[in-house]
Amino acid sequence: MQDMTADSLREVTVGTGAGLAPGAGDGQQLGADMVLNIGPQHPSTHGVLRLKLVLDGERVVSCEPIVGYMHRGAEKLFEVRDYRQIIVLANRHDWLSAFSNELGVVLAVERLMGLEVPERAVWLRTALAELNRVLNHLMFLGSYPLEIGAITPVFYAFRERETLQAVMEEVSGGRMHYMFNRVGGLKEEVPAGWTRRARAAIDEVRRRLPNLDNLIRRNEIFLARTVGVGVLSAEDAAAYGASGPVARASGLDFDLRRDEPYLAYGELDVPVVTRTAGDCHSRFEVLLDQVYVSLDLASACLDRVDRIQGPVNVRLPKVVKAPEGHTYAWTENPLGVNGYYLVSRGEKTPWRMKLRTASYANVQALTKLIPGCLVPDLIAILGSMFFVVGDIDK
Amino acid sequence: MNANGVPGGGLAKGLAITLRTMTRRSHTQQYPDVSPELPPRSRGVIALLEENCTVCMLCARECPDWCIYIDSHKETAAVPGAARPRQRNVLDRFAIDFSLCMYCGICVEVCPFDALYWTPEFEYAEYDIRDLLHEKDRLGEWMATVPPPPAHDPNGEPAKEEAAARKAAGPVAS
Repeated sequence: MQDMTADSLREVTVGTGAGLAPGAGDGQQLGADMVLNIGPQHPSTHGVLRLKLVLDGERVVSCEPIVGYMHRGAEKLFEVRDYRQIIVLANRHDWLSAFSNELGVVLAVERLMGLEVPERAVWLRTALAELNRVLNHLMFLGSYPLEIGAITPVFYAFRERETLQAVMEEVSGGRMHYMFNRVGGLKEEVPAGWTRRARAAIDEVRRRLPNLDNLIRRNEIFLARTVGVGVLSAEDAAAYGASGPVARASGLDFDLRRDEPYLAYGELDVPVVTRTAGDCHSRFEVLLDQVYVSLDLASACLDRVDRIQGPVNVRLPKVVKAPEGHTYAWTENPLGVNGYYLVSRGEKTPWRMKLRTASYANVQALTKLIPGCLVPDLIAILGSMFFVVGDIDK
Repeated sequence: MNANGVPGGGLAKGLAITLRTMTRRSHTQQYPDVSPELPPRSRGVIALLEENCTVCMLCARECPDWCIYIDSHKETAAVPGAARPRQRNVLDRFAIDFSLCMYCGICVEVCPFDALYWTPEFEYAEYDIRDLLHEKDRLGEWMATVPPPPAHDPNGEPAKEEAAARKAAGPVAS
């Protein structure tokens, strides 16, 4: 006992909160600056994201996003679930883009198994993925103005969401966690007349969307809060691995639907919405314009679905096993690039399934984006990064 | 701000939308008075058709978070004409803990004897989370609310129920 020096007994805080220990590295918080914790229980972070800010008066000197408060060990759970059960878990990390999350899993497994998915299923999946994208974007188009004080748009956004959710619920039975993908296709055929009703819902939303657009896009107060605030350069977006609407608003012209087509996107003409300003307002605009694009894509897919006959899934044995090997399937999720790295040893569960989520990469850019801004702008910037905390913490 | 042309133009545009919406009917659904119309596939609650259950335990094993509890015992019944008495499983307990259930529908999908069904029924909220564990009599009551499955799109394959019924009806004289 005696030869244990005081040094070896020194208590070191590790993990979350490590940055608060004096002498832990940045050397800033020894009383000189104010350290402000935003979250983990703060309404503007919509979830349990915690930001550790060092302030100099009203100005933010440094920002460190501390993640992990909602870590549910999704990757570890994947290792003890079969491929159908993985779909259940996978559609939950980003609860606003459940369909796209399921899609990545089944695409990875199908590629390992060398499965050919029926054409009808491919086009239906594309249509549903685009509808899911619209649902996700409408959520943020409603909640972002709400966060910075505009209460009205959320009601318009939710009216449109409800219209589309009815369509999704009719086909899959779920309003958020659709659970409609299966390895080899879809769970079951769509109900008779569904494509017609889906198209009607899309037209309805397209017709009413200008309401939401006119309400907020060029509202002077909204512009004052967002234009020129939180500018992310294309270089920084690329350096932090940001993707999706956040990166495209900075002029990073990258969209997997066009650049590495999966599903039926290769046969579709996907217009990629980009902006160059990289501020909060252009991020919002990218989201808004993508809704129009996705509605058009979804109805184009439904037109094709009506012309294709055949099954929507492949008959598979009761126990689905992916052969030994590894693959990486990435998809353009509503919030950015979502990837699954699947390593299989030929068992009915994956040996390892690594999850690359869009929000996780996108919030890292906050370290660069927030320093230099004022505390009142913080909410505007945070909201405009369009993340889901479940998607960050997995 | 000069992007709008006139100062305050963006605000005026928004107010015009609000004014127009004010003259329209509201979208509010009068829920407790008017019940919502839910599609037949809607995953509200799982109903159990006890007679069909053979205690094969597939649902309990396939459930991603093991929220199905099944107890059973074996009974021997002498069958007239058979050389030996037959053994069969008798279901003692079938319970689903809806506080754990993730509403994925795998149990309904794997059931080989069609003992489990989805129903759009959703009004079973409780004040205590422990009261969400529902036993087989409660699950059986929900069978009355199970809607018939929707017909499939004519471009796709017919539903398995339809195919089975056609097979049972025998070959069609043409």
